[in-house]
This record gives sequence, C-alpha cells and structure tokens, in this order.
Amino acid sequence: MIIEEISLALQKGKANDVKALVQQALAEGYTPKDILEKGLIQGMNVIGGKFKRNEVFVPEVLVAARAMNAGQEILRPVLVKSGIKPIGKAVICTVQGDLHDIGKNLVKMMLEGQAIACVDLGVDVPAEKVIAAIKEHEPDLLCLSALLTTTMIMQKEIIEAVNKAGLRNRVKIMVGGAPVTEKFALEIKADGYAPDAASAAELAVQLIGEMHV
Amino acid sequence: MFKNIEHYKPDLEKTMCMLGKLYADAARRRGGNVTFRALPPSDVEFYSTFDLTKYNYESDINEYAEDLSRLLAESFELRREVDDNMVPTISPVLGIGDYSAFVAGEIDFRKDTSWSKPVFENIDDWKRIPPLGTSKWYRWFLEICEAMLEISSGSGIPFMRGFFSPLDLAGALRGDMIYYDFYDEPEKLHDLLAFCADATIMFAEDIYALARKYLKDTKYGMYYLDGKINMSEDIACMISGKTYREFARPHTQRVINHFGEGHMHTHSRSLYLVKEICSMDGVVNLWLPTDPNAPRPIDHLEELIEDADGVCLAIDIDDFSEIENNLEILKKGNFSLTLPVKDIEEAKALTERFNLLEGI
Repeated sequence: MIIEEISLALQKGKANDVKALVQQALAEGYTPKDILEKGLIQGMNVIGGKFKRNEVFVPEVLVAARAMNAGQEILRPVLVKSGIKPIGKAVICTVQGDLHDIGKNLVKMMLEGQAIACVDLGVDVPAEKVIAAIKEHEPDLLCLSALLTTTMIMQKEIIEAVNKAGLRNRVKIMVGGAPVTEKFALEIKADGYAPDAASAAELAVQLIGEMHV
Repeated sequence: MFKNIEHYKPDLEKTMCMLGKLYADAARRRGGNVTFRALPPSDVEFYSTFDLTKYNYESDINEYAEDLSRLLAESFELRREVDDNMVPTISPVLGIGDYSAFVAGEIDFRKDTSWSKPVFENIDDWKRIPPLGTSKWYRWFLEICEAMLEISSGSGIPFMRGFFSPLDLAGALRGDMIYYDFYDEPEKLHDLLAFCADATIMFAEDIYALARKYLKDTKYGMYYLDGKINMSEDIACMISGKTYREFARPHTQRVINHFGEGHMHTHSRSLYLVKEICSMDGVVNLWLPTDPNAPRPIDHLEELIEDADGVCLAIDIDDFSEIENNLEILKKGNFSLTLPVKDIEEAKALTERFNLLEGI
C-alpha cells in the first residue's frame, strides 16, 4: 500500500522517494489527511520510538525529518485547500548564553512531525526576544532548550520573565536539554520536561490537547 | 611563579610509577589497577574566575599566561598534601573554540568558555582554506603555549594538551551538516575526516616540538605528550556504533598510530561505544564522565570491564562507598576513579582511606 511505502521511505530518509510517493498517493485519490497521518506522521513516530530506544541516532532522525519536510512541501497546499490546519503552534529556542542547536532542532523536527507549526527563534535567545515572540505568534507552547549546566538557569529566568509579562496562562512551557531533569523542570515551574526529542513531541501533543480543552 | 613539581607532588615518583604500571598493563590488556583522584572545588573553581573575555589574544598573551599560571599554581599548592593519582599539568585554557579555530574560523569568547562557528559550508571547503599552520589561531595558540612553557620552565611540571578527534574536528568545522554528510556525501566525508586527521597530527607535532624545547631535560615534563595523543570523541555520542566504525574509527586510529598511545574521551551517554573505542590499537585510557540523565558507568561495571578489555576507564563516582562496595569487581579491570569532595581536608582523608584498601 502506497501510504505504507511513504512511511517506510521516510524512515529510511529517502526524501526524493517520499516526495514522489506523496505525489502519487494524491494522484491516486488518497486524502491529504491520510497521507499526513498514516504515512508521514506514522513514519516519524516509528523513527521517534527507535530514537528513544537507541536503535537509531541523530543522523537517521535528521534525514527522516528532511524526508518528512519533502513530503509536507507537496502536501501543504493541498492541506490548506482542504482546511486542515496544524494541531498547534510552538515557539522554540535555545536559551541565552547557549549556542547549541542540535537538541532544539531535533525537537522542532519531531514537533513538525506531529503537525505542530514551529517558530524557531534560534540559539542564544534572551528573555525579551521570547516575550516578543509569544506576543507576536500567540503559540500554544514555548519550548526552551539548554545544553549546559551553566545555561539551564536561563530557562528559569525566561519562565519568570513570561510570568512577569502576564503571559504565563497563555502558553504551556516545556524545557529540555542534556543537563535538564524532571526535578529541575518542576522547580522552575515548567509545565513539562522530556528526556529526548521523541518524548518531547508526545508531550507537546498532550500539552496542546490540554490547552484546547 | 611555579615551584618544582616535587613541591606540589611530594610523592611524585610513587604516582608516576603507579601510572606507568597502569598504562603498561592497559596496553597489554591486563587488569588489576585501581587508582583514585579526589576532586576538591579548588581543582576546578579557578576556571570560573578566569575571564576569557578579558584578553586581546594578539597583544595580551603574556598577561593571559601569567594570570592562568598564577591560578594553576594556587590550585596545585592547595592540593599538595593529597596523595592521589593526580599529577599537576600545565595547559592553556581557552574554552572550546580553539579546538577547531587552529584550522579555520574565529573564536567566540564567553566569560568562562568559548565556541567556534562552523566555517565549512560545503563539505570540501577544506580544499579552499589557506595552508594549515598559517591561520591566526594556529600561530596564537603556539605563542600562548610558549608563554606558558616559559613561565613554567624549570619546574618540571608536565605540559598537556588534548585535541578533538577527526570526527569532532570535522563536526566543529562543518556544524550540524555533518549529520547529513554520513548519508549524502560518505566519500567526501572520509576526505574531510582524513584532512582533520592530518591537521590534528600537524598541530600536535608543532605543540609537542615546542614543549620539547623547554622540557626535554626534565624527567616528566613530556610525560603526557611523548608517544601519546589525547583526543575527545564527543560527536560519536550522536551516532551509532556502526556509523562510528565506518566513518570515525579509521581516522582516529590513524592519529593514534602516528603517536603511539591513545588517551580518549567520550561520555556516559554513549556506553555502547566503549567497546568500539577501546578496541582500537594503542588505546590505553578512556575518560568517561557521567552525563546528567545518562547511565552511570559505576552502575555498569561488569559490562564495561568486558568492553574495555583492559583499557583504563576514568570514571566518576558519587560516594566513597561505591569503591568499597565494588572493589573486587573494579580490580578485574583498570580504573581511575574520581570523587568530587567538599574540601582539601576531605580529599586528604578519603585518599588515605583509599590507599589503605586491600590490594590497591
């Protein structure tokens, strides 16, 4: 079945194959919703699960995510036409003082793999820029990444700044990164913490669900 | 500024003898050596007080070298009565950025560390940079080394410098694009890694030659350089054992072969790579610090001893009882155990306690 082929090609990171298969599936009359959910998202879920279990690693996730994007490019105009929207929106960044973006990029790709639109503010992002982005983009989620023990404290400062700006009840905040723990996330009053990118995507879907209840 | 090494390490001969046996046994893949390092705050605190943004590295090299040397000397002085396996060493501290900027690019200094930005937009950009050895940071780094060697000359304190592995160097120069290169450009990636191996060998040889000029007549000054290379395998934590074997290992092995002995570093996040790294020819030591949210090596001793096959594993522990409770297992392999302690008094007390353990 072509939908399954899309999922398998995505898992192998074959971007050109995914593109061609999505085009073929549309031509054969499959709905864009089915192609997205049962082909692309399902494929990313398999990769995410394998990543959690150390069965695949960063290169495999990145090429799979690139294949997902290739498929989404074909699908996007059709989805828009059909009135299918992303399930939510996230603003994502690596906090001030920290230039590492691989973890943030992996989470972003996994979120996009769950049909969550992402606004990527990049790395070394100060609290003021985060506040401005929340006001401008009105996201459901704010995702803060930090790789260093010396910069994870900025996650706390940003959450405090969001509080101070009166925006805290408008956005759920997720934190992550190599040194970050669940305990730390609780201490700094984040809404969620995930130990890896695939878990972050699952948590994001859950938190967006809570936002829209 | 520095006193003689035997002032800072009164038991120097005993320690060097212990380290000599440890690495010789590791080279022969024979276990039975367990050593201990206490880590008081004074061993590391000076890093946070040393402001890397304070210096213009073109004009302030002497000031930089003096400031760092003073902090190192103070740190060595504080721990002189700690009879553990730590030997004072002199090493420049510039953060992380200098580990790749000697090839190309700039260093972005922060107060307590530094970074470099990827400069190879295309995978074969290494063919288009000026010849190795001509970059600004290549020259400045050697000048920094020389300034520190001049200050420490006569003390006999060993000089030390670690390097990125070819994969880490390629990762720093290429950025996250390297993760796609494994799939998109495997042949060209091998070419880039071969270039990185050549660059590391050349840079290390130049640093070693400089150190030899100042330390050739000392007993232990070249201990951590002659016939050795100290390299990190950090990017390896992001890839599978299979990918490591195919791409990283041949180039890392070539660098080790050039020097003789490999003293390696990776993270506990990638315990699955211990076997890959330790099975390379010449590897005698693997520093394997515990990452947050990752397995603790001390909890996986049986499998690590098997995977390390005699290579010394430098791991950290949280409590002295972990040594006592695991002593018989630890003795099956080779270990350097590091325990953070609250102060020098505790460092002294726990080192004495360690030295009284049976069969150590």
